Amino acid sequence: MEQRVNRDVGAGVTDLDPDVELMLRVRDGDSASFGVLLDKHRLPVVHFLYRMIQNHAVAEELAQEVFLRVYRSRATYEPTAKFTTWLFRIATHLALNSLRDGKHERMEERLDDTSGDMPVRQVADGRPSVEQSMVYQARLDEVRRAVAALPEKQRAAVLMHKYREMEYTQIAKVLDCSESAVKSLLFRAYETLRARLAHMA
Amino acid sequence: MKCPLEAKRNEVLLAYGSRKLDAGDSQLLEGHLESCPACRDFVQAQRAVWDALDVWQPAPVSADFDRRLYQRIDGQESWFDRVMRPFQQFGLRHAVPIAASAAVVLVAGLLIQRTPAPLPTPQHDTAQMETLQPEQVVRALDEMEALSQLSRPVRADKADSKM
Repeated sequence: MEQRVNRDVGAGVTDLDPDVELMLRVRDGDSASFGVLLDKHRLPVVHFLYRMIQNHAVAEELAQEVFLRVYRSRATYEPTAKFTTWLFRIATHLALNSLRDGKHERMEERLDDTSGDMPVRQVADGRPSVEQSMVYQARLDEVRRAVAALPEKQRAAVLMHKYREMEYTQIAKVLDCSESAVKSLLFRAYETLRARLAHMA
Repeated sequence: MKCPLEAKRNEVLLAYGSRKLDAGDSQLLEGHLESCPACRDFVQAQRAVWDALDVWQPAPVSADFDRRLYQRIDGQESWFDRVMRPFQQFGLRHAVPIAASAAVVLVAGLLIQRTPAPLPTPQHDTAQMETLQPEQVVRALDEMEALSQLSRPVRADKADSKM
C-alpha cells in the first residue's frame, strides 16, 4: 500500500494530505475510509452549499450529490491535488449549475426562509431577549442579502476564502482560473461587502 | 503623502486581517497603520465585514443525511460493483483480472463437459430407424437441453454488458 501510494503519486500530495490517503483506501475498496471522509467534510460542504444557494434542502441535496460523485469516482481516483480542492470543485460546479438553472425559488423567497440558519438561541450566550433576537436576525438578513447580491464566482471565492480559509492558489484550482483572477474576484467581492456591511462594526 | 501600500493594499491588508502575515511584517504594517488613514479605514471596514460574516452560522445537517446518502449509493450500485464486492479485499485493481480469469476457466469447463458426441448417420431403412430412433431422440433432446443451459449465462452476460 505504501509503495503503491508513493509510486502513483510521489511524495508531495500524500505526505501533506491525509484525506488523499483515505481516498486512496476508498479506491482500494475500504468503505470505512469513505465514512471517515464523510464525517470530516459533510458539514463544511453542506454549509458552503447553503451559503451559496441559501436554501437548506437544496444545499443538502447537492451535498449528497457531491459525496455520491466522490464515491462513484473512487475506482479512477488519482490525487493530482488536495482532496478538498477536488471536493469543493465538485461542490462549486454543482452550486453554479443549480443557480444558473434557476430551478429553485427566487432569491427573495430564499432570503425570506430562515430555516437554514442557526437559531439565535444557539448563537447567543444564555437565553436571548426578544431584542437580542431581533438584532441578530436583522444583522443576519443583511449579511445574507449582501452575500446573495455578489456575482456567483465572487460569492464562491469569498465563501472559500472566509469560511474555509483557503489560499488563493487552492481557490484558483477549485474555480479553474489563475491566481490573479482569484485575487481580482476576492478584492472586488470584499470591496462590495465593505460598502454594504462596514457600518455593522 | 502617497501611501506606499496603495498598489498592493488589498492583498497586504487582507493577509494582515486574516493573520497570514508573519510577526515581523505585521509589526511593520501596524506602524504604518498609525500614520495612514486610508489603510486604517480599510482594515477597520474589513474587520467589520469578517465579524458580520461570522454571525452567519447555518443550521446543523439533517440527522438522516447519511442514511439518505447511503440509500442513493446502494441504489446506484451497478451490477459490476455487486460482482466485484467479494474481490475488493484483494484491491479493485487486481479484482478484474482475477474475476476475468475465473470466468474464462468456468466457461471453458462448461464447454468441455458439454461437448456433444457426434450423432450417428441417419439411416434410410425405416425398420432400422424405428429401432434406433428412440435412443437418438433421447440423446438429441439431452444435447439440446445442455446447449440451451449453456447459452443462458452467455445471453445474460451480453445483456449486462449493455448496462
